[in-house]
Amino acid sequence: MDGSKPPISAIDGSIPFDAEHSHLDDSARAERRSGLLQVAVLTKRYGDQPALADIAFEVNAGEVLGVIGPNGAGKTTLLEAVAGLLPVDAGDIAWCGSPLRLARRREVMFYLPDGIRPYQDQPVARVLQFFAGVHRRSADHVADTVAALGLAPVLAKRVQALSKGYNRRLLLALALIAPQPLVLMDEPFDGFDLRQVRAIAGVLRREAANGRALVLAIHQLNDAERVCDRFILLSGGRVCGAGALDQLRARTGLPTATLEELFLALT
Amino acid sequence: MRSPETAAVRGAPLRPLFVKEFREILSGRALWIVLLLVCPLVGYSFFQAVSLYAESSAAALDQPVLARSLSPLDGVLVPTFGAFYVAVTLLFPFVAIRALGQEKESGALRVLVQLPYRSPVLIGAKLAAVLGAWLLCSIPVLSALAIWRLLGGHLSPAETSNLLLGHLLYGILVGAIALFAAAIADSAATAAIIALAFTIGSWVLDFTLAGRPGIFAWLSQLSLTQTLHAFEQGLMSAGLVLGIIAAFSGFAALAAVWLPPGVALRAKLLRSVACVAAAAAIFAAASQLRLAIDVTADQRNSFPPSDQRALAALTKPLTATVHLAPEDPRYVDLQRAVFSKLARVVPDLTVELAGPQSFAASGGDEHYGEIEYVYGARRDVSRSTSPREILPLIYGLAEVPMPQPGAGDEFPGYPLVANGYWALPWFFGALPLLIVMAWWWTRRPIGPTLTSNFEGGKP
Repeated sequence: MDGSKPPISAIDGSIPFDAEHSHLDDSARAERRSGLLQVAVLTKRYGDQPALADIAFEVNAGEVLGVIGPNGAGKTTLLEAVAGLLPVDAGDIAWCGSPLRLARRREVMFYLPDGIRPYQDQPVARVLQFFAGVHRRSADHVADTVAALGLAPVLAKRVQALSKGYNRRLLLALALIAPQPLVLMDEPFDGFDLRQVRAIAGVLRREAANGRALVLAIHQLNDAERVCDRFILLSGGRVCGAGALDQLRARTGLPTATLEELFLALT
Repeated sequence: MRSPETAAVRGAPLRPLFVKEFREILSGRALWIVLLLVCPLVGYSFFQAVSLYAESSAAALDQPVLARSLSPLDGVLVPTFGAFYVAVTLLFPFVAIRALGQEKESGALRVLVQLPYRSPVLIGAKLAAVLGAWLLCSIPVLSALAIWRLLGGHLSPAETSNLLLGHLLYGILVGAIALFAAAIADSAATAAIIALAFTIGSWVLDFTLAGRPGIFAWLSQLSLTQTLHAFEQGLMSAGLVLGIIAAFSGFAALAAVWLPPGVALRAKLLRSVACVAAAAAIFAAASQLRLAIDVTADQRNSFPPSDQRALAALTKPLTATVHLAPEDPRYVDLQRAVFSKLARVVPDLTVELAGPQSFAASGGDEHYGEIEYVYGARRDVSRSTSPREILPLIYGLAEVPMPQPGAGDEFPGYPLVANGYWALPWFFGALPLLIVMAWWWTRRPIGPTLTSNFEGGKP
């Protein structure tokens, strides 16, 4: 961070994190679990080395799906392949049951890469203005996003002068300004401390509550457990397990296990 | 709940994209450094050109015959623009590469390609920004034209506009090559090497292959430097303009093909082949276009008006069979002084090379050096390379009377004894200072209006 920690209240959101998890009853949850994205037999090799092997999963509207795995598990490769930013060797991707061509991916999903610092010579406000202009978002919408993510103190700063945390907030703001119903995020909590992770998780939960589907690639299992509805456990480019926490516990026979323990048991 | 269908992206306004691209290119150091380097380059060339022109003019002031050879196009404009050409060839690729290379290196490209614009639109916006950068880089050379006028120099609007058009097309071509290099390279440094391989490679092509026969002559025509020759000679050739447009459109299309990171290599290669084929087809069509307008004030690329009228009235095919090797200086003279002018005025002209493939192989051929002219059923042979002898021969074949020179056909020339010293403080002092101030202005903090728009939202 660049000296001035953003006020937690500014990024915490009006809906508390725990309330986010409980504000929908079971019927409402079931209703919104309509399949948006279906991925089947997704395979990617680098030479003879398989990076992804027959990956299959589904993403539902309004859910937060965590792609979990250690460094090198293939999380980034998976997200980039799904977003159409990486050529794949095989695989089918469908949107609401219909095949989704490469050229149409950007119409339905937005992928937020990790470790980028876009438009470094521009002030933060200009970058936000550009994205808002492209997506025809109102100034009020951007202002709400800025308030939710606590970006107001750095609006006049150039991107190159931002701390890692504020750069991450800017990237999250771009994802929230984008209108696509599915957002793929690579390590969205990287650069945040515990309080900030909880606050950002609240923002993301609220986005999901509005019907948006989020796929988050996270290597910190505690963070993933805090924010995700379901999980895909990835190791060595293969899916080792998938489902909600309860389903994974039932499968492993560890009824009180944490996500970390489940991951160790399944991989 | 958000509907997946209604939330789908359906196009986007272009203005934010273009504004972003211009801001990006203005915020980089490369443009301003190139601008600062162009100032002394152009300034010194202009000063030297004006000084030499003044020396020649001093001798010509009392002798109208000498004055007729003094044209500002050759004496001042071409040398001054020559310095600009060197800067555009060697330095401008760095400015254009930044328009794409920066986004590649920062990772922003992966966000950019997800915006609701097709790749050709993204490249088109970048090319527009590169064009804007070229216009900024041309400020020193445009200011040289203004100074020339202030000194009392003559500027022919047609000549000047044509030369500007040539350099504009060349600048866009270099920009498109640089964008293509940035699209295929992983880093800006690699892109710079690729772009300079094209531009400097063109010089090598020129030096090593020009004047050689056969395939080498054709290859030397592909040199980028060839694009400017016609404009510097005061010719506005429709075929050349179309060819340059096809070339930079082809490079821009290739850049658009190689921009999206998610497309498989095989698909990119296939699309590239299609782009190259389309550009080649347009090239072929352009090479058939013979429309070329002589925009020079002295009409140096044309015969005198009376001859032009007489030659344009020839109704039958005229064929010239040349018994010379392609690299023979006499053939070069013939091309420049006779055939290139005839080609633009005679309705049906065919020039055939019947000589040996090389000058060394010409020994023992008694017909070597002859040019046979056939008009209808009549033929004649000449060894001359001068239009003073060839035109009467053609009139004789066509049985038309020799046209009489019209009054006022003579080019008066524009001698000017001027002192170019006082231009130096402008190019070495005032203009660089203004550029630094403009650079500083672009780096100023943004005003409170923009930030206040995005403050006060509901968290």
